[in-house]
Amino acid sequence: MVGQEKKGFRISTLLLIVLAVIQLFPLIWLIDFSLVESDQLFTSGILVWPSPFRWVNYTRALFESNFLHYLFNSILINALAVILVVVFATMASFACTRMRWELSGFVSLLLMMGLMIPIHATLLPNYIIFSKIKILDTILALLIPYVAFSLPQGFFLTSSYMDSVPKELEEATVIDGCGVYRTLMIIVLPMMKASIATVSIMTYLNNWNEFVMAMTFLSSPDWKTLPFAVLEFTGQYSSDYAIQFAVMTLSALPAIVIYILLNKNITKGVAMGAVKG
Amino acid sequence: MHKLYSNKLVIFSLVLPGLLTFLIAILAPIVLSVYYSLTDYSGLGAANFTGLANYAALVQDEVFWRALLNSVLLALGFICIQHPIAVLVAWKLDRLQGKAEGLLRCIYFLPNVISVAVIAYLWKFIYNPNFGLLQKVLELFGYEGSFNALGSGTAIWAVLVVLVWHGFGWGMLIYYTGIKNIDQVVYEAAALDGATSSQTFFRITLPMMKPVIKYNVTLAIISALKQMETVYLLTNGGPGNETQFMATYLYKQASGSYKYGYGNAISVVFIVICLAATVLMNKLFAERKEAV
Repeated sequence: MVGQEKKGFRISTLLLIVLAVIQLFPLIWLIDFSLVESDQLFTSGILVWPSPFRWVNYTRALFESNFLHYLFNSILINALAVILVVVFATMASFACTRMRWELSGFVSLLLMMGLMIPIHATLLPNYIIFSKIKILDTILALLIPYVAFSLPQGFFLTSSYMDSVPKELEEATVIDGCGVYRTLMIIVLPMMKASIATVSIMTYLNNWNEFVMAMTFLSSPDWKTLPFAVLEFTGQYSSDYAIQFAVMTLSALPAIVIYILLNKNITKGVAMGAVKG
Repeated sequence: MHKLYSNKLVIFSLVLPGLLTFLIAILAPIVLSVYYSLTDYSGLGAANFTGLANYAALVQDEVFWRALLNSVLLALGFICIQHPIAVLVAWKLDRLQGKAEGLLRCIYFLPNVISVAVIAYLWKFIYNPNFGLLQKVLELFGYEGSFNALGSGTAIWAVLVVLVWHGFGWGMLIYYTGIKNIDQVVYEAAALDGATSSQTFFRITLPMMKPVIKYNVTLAIISALKQMETVYLLTNGGPGNETQFMATYLYKQASGSYKYGYGNAISVVFIVICLAATVLMNKLFAERKEAV
């Protein structure tokens, strides 16, 4: 019995390790060959020990591309998107769960509809709309759809959380003479910390790596985001593989750092999105 | 207080920003899409009303059906390959406890946070027949030719491998939290009754995970339908149209073939299929719940 358990344990541990290798190895391969000379990709085996480490690939990747500019754009656009989604979602869900009006059900339904609409089906018409209202190639061309497509999930998460928060506290403040906006800011927002964190993380995960909309709505490098560092560099240095590998590693790095920092919150966020979805 | 809570102006100001973004970025484009889908607009010049001609053409368009088939294949890949492994791994991971549990969970999820652009190009290199990782692994086993996984015939499978690999962590994490939510007391009771670990898995964990499995399967089907980015960068639907998905196809029609009207017809059908799939899955799973 004990022996059997042990054997079972070993096989399952093996499964876990094999899968970890499968998930991780392509990334290790990428980093490995970002540190050698391009030719070595052809001549060496599966992995190679870099001697010497060619950090110059990274400095070139950093300074010969728009990497830093695009990184800045990505951070700015995503921060704005997260803030707007949190604010809009909290406002709308407060109106729909707390306040009394005839259309609240209908508006909730409308906002949730966005959960089912495939983003890419709006690419073609949005191009025309954005060109008509003259926001193509501006930050708004990314911000508006990023907020719009993350809002349904944000609205869903905040309104289901608001349902579980007792109303008495805010009702008391409202009686005390605070207006609805102040109650929202002072009482409701602080109580919503957990769900705001989830909404922020989901919005970030939705938008950080997005590039199809950016590719469609932007033409100049002004507002392009991080994925374009990879897309542009592969064209520019088509035979210099090591540098391309370096750019790819660099582009992946910010997301990996954020993931390691927010690991617990991200796990919780995905879980909360799932359990309540 | 009730007066304050039913102040129309306040309510309006609270929902306006949300509704406005929804109108501009989601509802208006859908309406516009329906309009253009009824025309022969090429992207330039005038749009002539052609009725349902685009839709009639779509029904007979083999590539469209191929795109739909590819989505079905991808959904099957998720449900039949990714998910069983994910459930098993999530279950084992939960048993592991300690530092290894957190570390492995982290590793499994890692590809998920990395940009699709990086992932797609990385796999393009892995599949490269001259120096790719796959080629080198094959050579290790004595293979002498050069294998182009993204070539005709194998391309769709190569694409599926990438998508199943990339999404594994997300699916696993959802199962993992589902398992974490199961009360430990149930396991303790089972252990007292002398249940083996496989009995516990099949008789306790799996049945209790039903809602999570339903949710995850629905999610997999929807994301299989919505697939675009990775495929666009890996193969752009090629070779031929072998790896076309609905989203890559509509994009190609509008941007590459100057069939903007036709592209919009695909968009409209695409939306309808996604809505139908969501409603259908919810119905299907809700009814079963009642039956049990």
